Amino acid sequence: MSVCERIEEVRDYAFGELPEGKRGAVEEHVAGCAQCSAELDGLQLTTAALRILPDQEIPQRIAFVSDKVFAPSGFSKWFGAGWLNFASACVVAAGLVGAAFAYRPVVTIAAPAPVVTAAKMDVTAQMNEAVTQAVDQAVARIRAEDARVMDAALAASELKHEKQHRELLAAMDENLTYLQKRYSSVTMLASSDAMRFGGGQ
Amino acid sequence: MIFRAVEDADLISRVRKGDIEGFNILVSRWEKRVFNYLLRLLGSPDDALDLSQDVFLKAYQNIRKLDDPARFGPWVFRIAHNEAYSFFRKRRPETALEDTNVIERRAAPGFAPDLSLAVTAALDRLHPDQREAVVLKVYQGFKFEEMAEILGSPVSTVKSRLYTALELLKNELAPVNIRGTR
Repeated sequence: MSVCERIEEVRDYAFGELPEGKRGAVEEHVAGCAQCSAELDGLQLTTAALRILPDQEIPQRIAFVSDKVFAPSGFSKWFGAGWLNFASACVVAAGLVGAAFAYRPVVTIAAPAPVVTAAKMDVTAQMNEAVTQAVDQAVARIRAEDARVMDAALAASELKHEKQHRELLAAMDENLTYLQKRYSSVTMLASSDAMRFGGGQ
Repeated sequence: MIFRAVEDADLISRVRKGDIEGFNILVSRWEKRVFNYLLRLLGSPDDALDLSQDVFLKAYQNIRKLDDPARFGPWVFRIAHNEAYSFFRKRRPETALEDTNVIERRAAPGFAPDLSLAVTAALDRLHPDQREAVVLKVYQGFKFEEMAEILGSPVSTVKSRLYTALELLKNELAPVNIRGTR
């Protein structure tokens, strides 16, 4: 038994997939074609039997974004907006400034004024630049102070050594004077003895 | 149907702008259908629920990859189809899909018990590809083009699977139908 050439259309008709304009023609064909009529009845009966199985209710709602707990908190949104980077930059800057103060307490660094309205990247860059400048200034001042202290120490040392040198020269001069006097007195004694013992012969 | 598609498209547009509540509405619209589709494929309500969860999670993560927001339904069912087959490969690599269907055989209310049990048993005996075609067409009401999109197969293949399955079901259910309609 050959298959009717319009059986495919009949099947599409059964599932509502046939364009509206073709439905009437198929209905006419089915009315006069036993094979297609049986096919249509079979499809309708089978699908009707299948549809007695109802959908089941879902045991529980899908616990995804339906729960508020999955939504980001206000703090997370604030953090997610890029403030974490800014806050990190501030902490690092404060640490660097604090380290500079600890290393040289005399140094005073003018804190850079925060530009609140600037974009976060600009603020971070400005902050980094200000910190770098402040640290450079502190290091320069520390080096200058060290140089001044070294110069003063060197000068004091030179003065001390010069004084010691002068004192040594004075002591040597005194010793020489003493030795000259001593030599003179010995010479005089020797001359008088010679004259006394030499004249008695 | 067109109105509903536009609504889904609007919701997807909202989700893409960061409105999570928009996705919540989409989930509430589609979760029952996705769950029942997976239930008829997997047979286990627990597995179907777990996979439904995964399906919507993946849908949320990939919502920007959806080319046509008006076709959210076929798209999310395509994800569900992939998840189901991935599930079978992981869980039972040595067994075929046809051996896994263990849907509870409960009689549908208001119908002859033997008819509803016979329908369930007849569906169980189908090849999984054929059963999936029946589920998508008869129970989910998708168009052939949408089914082809979900299954990743040509329309002709989808039709062939469906009509073969329905022919088998007709032969199995005919005697029961006769008894049930007496």
